[in-house]
Amino acid sequence: MARSRARRVERDLSASRSDTSASTSPERGAEDEDDNDSFMLQANDSQSSLAPSVSSDSDDDAVRRAIEERCRMSPVSRLPAELMISVFAKLSSPGDLRNCMLVSREWSRNSVGLLWHRPQTNKWKGLKTVIETVRTTNSYFDYNSLIKRLNLSALGNEVSDGTLQPLSGCKRVERLTLTNCTKLTDLSLTVMLKDNRALLALDVTGLNAITDKTMLALAGNAVRLQGLNITNCTKISDDSLEAVARNCRHIKRLKLNGCQQLTDKSIIAFAMNCRYMLEIDLHDCRNLEDESITTLITEGPHLRELRLAHCARITDNAFLRLPSEATYESLRILDLTDCPELQDAGVQKIVQAAPRLRNLVLAKCRLLTDRAVLAITRLGKNLHYIHLGHCSRITDTGVTQLVKLCNRIRYIDLACCSNLTDTSVQQLATLPKLKRIGLVKCGNITDRSILALAKPKQVGHGGPVSPSVLERVHLSYCTNLTLGGIHALLNNCPRLTHLSLTGVQAFLREDLIVFCREAPAEFNDHQRDVFCVFSGIGVQRLRNYLNVESDARPNNMPLPIFDADGAIMEEAEEPDVIRNVTAQANGMAIDEMEDEFGEGSEMMGIIYDFHG
Amino acid sequence: MASASTDAAKVIKVTTSDGIDITVDRQVAERSILIKNLLEDLGGESTDEPIPIPNVNEAVMKKVLEWCEHHKADPPASQDDDSDSRKKSTDIEEWDQKFMQVDQEMLFEIILAANYLDIKALLDVGCKTVANMIKGKSPDEIRKTFNIQNDFTPEEEDQIRRENEWAEDR
Repeated sequence: MARSRARRVERDLSASRSDTSASTSPERGAEDEDDNDSFMLQANDSQSSLAPSVSSDSDDDAVRRAIEERCRMSPVSRLPAELMISVFAKLSSPGDLRNCMLVSREWSRNSVGLLWHRPQTNKWKGLKTVIETVRTTNSYFDYNSLIKRLNLSALGNEVSDGTLQPLSGCKRVERLTLTNCTKLTDLSLTVMLKDNRALLALDVTGLNAITDKTMLALAGNAVRLQGLNITNCTKISDDSLEAVARNCRHIKRLKLNGCQQLTDKSIIAFAMNCRYMLEIDLHDCRNLEDESITTLITEGPHLRELRLAHCARITDNAFLRLPSEATYESLRILDLTDCPELQDAGVQKIVQAAPRLRNLVLAKCRLLTDRAVLAITRLGKNLHYIHLGHCSRITDTGVTQLVKLCNRIRYIDLACCSNLTDTSVQQLATLPKLKRIGLVKCGNITDRSILALAKPKQVGHGGPVSPSVLERVHLSYCTNLTLGGIHALLNNCPRLTHLSLTGVQAFLREDLIVFCREAPAEFNDHQRDVFCVFSGIGVQRLRNYLNVESDARPNNMPLPIFDADGAIMEEAEEPDVIRNVTAQANGMAIDEMEDEFGEGSEMMGIIYDFHG
Repeated sequence: MASASTDAAKVIKVTTSDGIDITVDRQVAERSILIKNLLEDLGGESTDEPIPIPNVNEAVMKKVLEWCEHHKADPPASQDDDSDSRKKSTDIEEWDQKFMQVDQEMLFEIILAANYLDIKALLDVGCKTVANMIKGKSPDEIRKTFNIQNDFTPEEEDQIRRENEWAEDR
């Protein structure tokens, strides 16, 4: 009662304000009340901080005068709750928000929702006090219902069922992130999910103890679910995922990486039931066959991103069975890394069916030839990102056509395409937007390629000449390269932040290696000996050093050329452990894909295995 | 306030809550989505009639229009501007900082007016200004800054402090 009364007083006040102090109080109707409710709390509900002394309607005038006086004395109290919340939303520090909670009852009501929206649970100390508070029976606010995001991933395997269980009263959690909290089991997950109808996203990556029980609890409750990540949850079967697919029809993003136990059954269920699907990542779901892939494409009108890396059983038929004239305009990203059965006919059909593909990853599809590359050229300006690493059959002919017709390419990887020569790279060098190029183990290329890459580009016909926009260049094991080409590259590519020359003899010099970054910790001695990657400040230092060195030489004599010595470096294998964990965990981050062993381990904490 | 131009289509009049008519460039006034929509509803032609703004007085309206004048050429806010970085950042450009150096009464009237008139960028600057007045202060310092009565009992204050102990500065 007192509460509704307080609201009425507030409204009266705003009415009176408009004729006296010309204050503004826009539409504060039912919406406003709803808003407040989410921050209000039974415990505090019955107390009005606005008019605690009011006892009957006849006192309205007195109340109004009191509030006017308060607004005069403390102008901040003119702001209605929603504007105070807008102010508090600008505070990024939980400490500041906590201090606001301690100012007054009104301030605490308006700040508590923001503070508890996403409590700090990245350290044990914080998590412990959060748990203590939500367990308190007579707490000042109903904090349980205020928590919308809960992320325990920073504490990883220290989190146990005993940690999560006390938080199971938080039934309005929208995002629950438990990445690599590997000790968690069905025990705590099922109670956590029970009766939560608000859940939008669940990430249980690496929780390999959880089973169908957890997924059935999810299916039974999370009717609004939009995102699910069960990477490496190997005990979850098709059966429970079919239930999830049937009940959680709003799923848009799905990640099932490394779930090798799954078959077409569950994937087809998702395709048939979840019509809003935008992104699906099935990295390393090795048992999937063509039918599930065909169904995902035909039944998912919005599908934007489809990742099928290492789904080794997929064949051309997955695509050849698509209806003959149908096109799938939403599909932008397709990753078929290491789908070794894929052939030119499959790629031809893909390009015809998905004409707006922007990113196409065909690394290690070793059967592909120039015919596939010629098909890809039909993507024209839409193609921004193309990975053909280890497609060792392709030749200069294919690459030349690709450059001619797809001139918006920003990223290209042709690692281990050992047929390619300087002809290809001289063409690639004309791409005006090229930012990253991967040519690892393209053993034929010489400094001529590098000088072409270094050359400033003309924009359009007769347009201005502008410097190269290259940022990342991967040249490891291009053993013919010498200092001269790279020096020119450094001086002509102002945006260059990454240059890899592992195993290139000319750069394995004491005075240059000092600018190179550390080899990853897991590398063996041999790998360390040949490791040569310059990144960030290291690129600048190398550039400066070479410039000073060449200035010091009389008459700018040609730079010394070191022989590759004929000794071919052994290919360093990336340890399997790393491949499994990190490549899968980062399967979505295509733009950060790395191309050589060990690369990226510093930059993004990501290691990929394309060249292992 | 109005430019030298007497082109009727380019200037409009608003009437403030205290009955004052202010003439202003239409482009400037249209920083207010409320006014922009009102003008559009009127068909864009008959702008002779002053537009009543019953919730904003002359002093505040003039101040708000000063801001609109300075920002009249700003690009319209895109949808993406609602990203977290913008929400959280309390960085304010220099001109706006000076503009907001007013007494608290005016500061909160500007915020209320920006909200009513639907001028998102100004509302944003106002909220950031207030947030900056809160940042780094203890509860008691905040109360002093805004002249707020502490209406908690000591027990309540203690309880809230305990229950929110986890919230540390980042």
